[in-house]
Amino acid sequence: MRSDVDAVRCVGLQVCYSGVPAIDEVDLTVALGEVVAVLGASGSGKSTLLHAVAGLVQPSAGEIWLSGQRVATARRGTAPEQRDVGLVFQDFALWPHLTALDTVAYPLQRAGRSRADARARARTLLDQLDIGHLAQRRPAQLSGGQQQRVGLARALARDPRVFLLDEPTAHLDTHLRAAFQDSVRDRQAETGAAAVYATHDAGEALALADRVALVVCGRLVQIASPQVVYEQPVSVATAGLTGAFSVLAAHVSMPSAGVLAVDLGDGYAEVPGGGASDSRAVLLRPDWVGLGGPFRARIAACSFRGAHSDYALETSSGTVHMQLPGPPQHAVGESVEWGIRRAWALPGGTAGETAVQPSAVIAPG
Amino acid sequence: MPVRALRGISSRVSAQLLIAVALFAVAALVVVPLVRLVQVVVEGGGSSISRVLSAADLTAAEHSLELAVAVPLLAVPLGTGLALLLRHADVPCRGLLRVLVVLPLLIPQFVLGYSWTQAYGRAGFTDDLVGVHWSGLTGPAGIIVVLVVDAVPICYLLTTVGLATRAQPELELASRVSGATGWAALRTVTLPLLRPVLAAEIVLVFVATLESFAAPQVLGAPSGYATLTTRMYADLSRGSNPDTFRDAVTLALGLVLIAAALLVPADLVLAPKLRSSRAASAGGGQPPRRRGGAVVAALVAVYSILAVLLPTVALVAAAITRAIGLPPTPSNWTLGNFRAALDAPTREALGNSLQLAVLAALALTALGAIVAALERYRSGRLLGTLAMLTFAVPGSALAVGLLIAYDRTLGGTLALILLAYLAKFWALAHRTISGAVDRMPAGEWQAARVSGAGPVVAVRTVWLPGLAPALAAAAVLVFVTALHEVTMSSLLYSTGTETFAVAVLNSQQLGDTGTTAALSVTLTAVLVVIAVPAWLLLRRQAHHRVSADRVEMASA
Repeated sequence: MRSDVDAVRCVGLQVCYSGVPAIDEVDLTVALGEVVAVLGASGSGKSTLLHAVAGLVQPSAGEIWLSGQRVATARRGTAPEQRDVGLVFQDFALWPHLTALDTVAYPLQRAGRSRADARARARTLLDQLDIGHLAQRRPAQLSGGQQQRVGLARALARDPRVFLLDEPTAHLDTHLRAAFQDSVRDRQAETGAAAVYATHDAGEALALADRVALVVCGRLVQIASPQVVYEQPVSVATAGLTGAFSVLAAHVSMPSAGVLAVDLGDGYAEVPGGGASDSRAVLLRPDWVGLGGPFRARIAACSFRGAHSDYALETSSGTVHMQLPGPPQHAVGESVEWGIRRAWALPGGTAGETAVQPSAVIAPG
Repeated sequence: MPVRALRGISSRVSAQLLIAVALFAVAALVVVPLVRLVQVVVEGGGSSISRVLSAADLTAAEHSLELAVAVPLLAVPLGTGLALLLRHADVPCRGLLRVLVVLPLLIPQFVLGYSWTQAYGRAGFTDDLVGVHWSGLTGPAGIIVVLVVDAVPICYLLTTVGLATRAQPELELASRVSGATGWAALRTVTLPLLRPVLAAEIVLVFVATLESFAAPQVLGAPSGYATLTTRMYADLSRGSNPDTFRDAVTLALGLVLIAAALLVPADLVLAPKLRSSRAASAGGGQPPRRRGGAVVAALVAVYSILAVLLPTVALVAAAITRAIGLPPTPSNWTLGNFRAALDAPTREALGNSLQLAVLAALALTALGAIVAALERYRSGRLLGTLAMLTFAVPGSALAVGLLIAYDRTLGGTLALILLAYLAKFWALAHRTISGAVDRMPAGEWQAARVSGAGPVVAVRTVWLPGLAPALAAAAVLVFVTALHEVTMSSLLYSTGTETFAVAVLNSQQLGDTGTTAALSVTLTAVLVVIAVPAWLLLRRQAHHRVSADRVEMASA
């Protein structure tokens, strides 16, 4: 039975470039119909992982299985054209000499269909992605967003059991990303195939995926649902991958399961949360913090972001980032009371470390 | 000397002046000689045209075309095949094989042809060893094979560059993950993307074969197989009969017309397709292969041994063996051939050659840089095209034109040969430098200026370090080509202005095997001694730039 078998299974995978491992000890399984986002910084090995699964690079250790068949070991690998995968490239990789229609028909022709037959099917795929009217254009005559839709259609044309998407939106403008992500999710749901989606964009990974795999320096450090990787990071490094956060020095204890008691010196709160019981540092996401509560702070910076405002609160335990809906309600320098709705005790974390994603940088004043 | 620097120095006037200088150079070097060719034919009342259209000369034209069609059809697939095979990182000893493939670039064409006769001709290496020789070597088949071996390195290099800039590895990978086998990817993606490059190679090799003189002379003369270029040479060396002279001039003009008839339309069609601002990708990116690396290495090695290494060994053996017919064993070794060959006139010829090559390299690097910079001006754009056109005028025709135009003032001096080199090799320097200027990101210059560098400082600190490898490459290219050159200097030399290559050719015509072999070895050795260190240095420079690009890409 098709559904009993994992669509992708990597076991102890290692890929080296000139002797230096780009990814190492990667264990990853993706079920049929599942979307796994591989989230990591540039150069962390996301592309290498996808290329290894597609057969474009040879592992130096470990194994890759696709739909229950072993396709690669350190010794031998099945050729890319014989693997049941479709790959969408970061910089599109469209052939400059072929029209959009012929590009999408290409995999179908390689699979043995006649030219006319392949073109008919390609036209349907282009129509489904709302670019049917661009069928006769070549890549140079298409915008970035259109090119990547052609790239997606080409991957869809193989009708594979596994889609590999290698940072497909990295070169697209923000407003095109959402549209492209919608296309991916719709198509993936319809085909019921598995998808591995590499990205460095936290929002994209959390929104698209059933599970998120966090990659740091070529190693998978956490694989869990989007909510878990956001709320329960295993380290400061992985916390930074999934969004902005602050870390405060605190006395924490766990009075009961799922409840975290946080003592910041000037106040005390019991909130939903968890983490390491011996922790001396607590991690707070900007949306877990609000005005009014047991703690005291001075507003060090505040900036208006449209739908919400970002604040930097100066407390005796460190700086806290807070996100509140609407325009700023307090001026810089004002003293306020604040509280928390949720917290996470970091294992061995040190206080004072913060990571702020570019979109949440708080400008002074 | 980048143009924006010129603009910064404020002098639109000085740019105009430079353009005027460059235009004057084109006029003096190319236009005047060509006009004089036409004049001579017209003055003869066209009688030479009807004579040339008679049997013997027409046969020579047929032979020239026969070669010019056959050589590209063999050399382009061979060079491209080698480039495709040597792309894969899993080929053992790939670095060495790549060097072997481009090695013939350092061997002058007539040395290559002569070494083939020493290897495979009658009384040659294989004849001595196993009693087998190739009688077709001195005839059209032999000329074609030697010209193909001579043209393969340039095809290999052009295809390699084409693969890096047009057939980006990712495009092939995309076809593999779309279900194409290696062969299907080659057929449906790689080769279609290379099509303009391959067409350009065919045109280039066609014209180069049409104007080739050395191999047809060395291999064709013994069997009486004449081409346009060898026939012109024969006409001109036969003496001062005005009719034969006019015939040679008419043949020269015919050669120009045939070359132009192909080049002008080819340039119009191909040039826009070849223009690509995309930088070469930093290599890599071939899907892993399971086998075949060793077979590829063996194939390339066999080609290289048969085409280049064995002939070279045979040549060296002939040079150090005491007398023809003796086996090349240590007891028969001698340096006598070298002593006899390097007599006073030959040493003078070597001096002449080095002098010409150095002067041409220096002058053309400067001239090439000026034109590359001026091309950015609207009024200077024409110059680039003109510089390329000078290359299209066949060497023999150019030499005859220069001879008519300047014999009275410069006859019997090295300056006449230098003019020919400047005219013919200008395009080589220009191409090399202009390509580097094109690849220079505008941002580098702007960043230097907004960082507080004045135009002169910016040229020195930002442009020159980037352009230095290209300027050096242009100089080396001109130097090597000038030392190779025999087509023009064999028509232009007189007593005291013999070049070394001409000395080798003349010695070969006299039929002294040992001396000719010794001279050929000397000429090639001079090239290797000078060109190889320069090349290694340039490669290191280029490597630095590429690895810097790689770091940039990785961090992007």
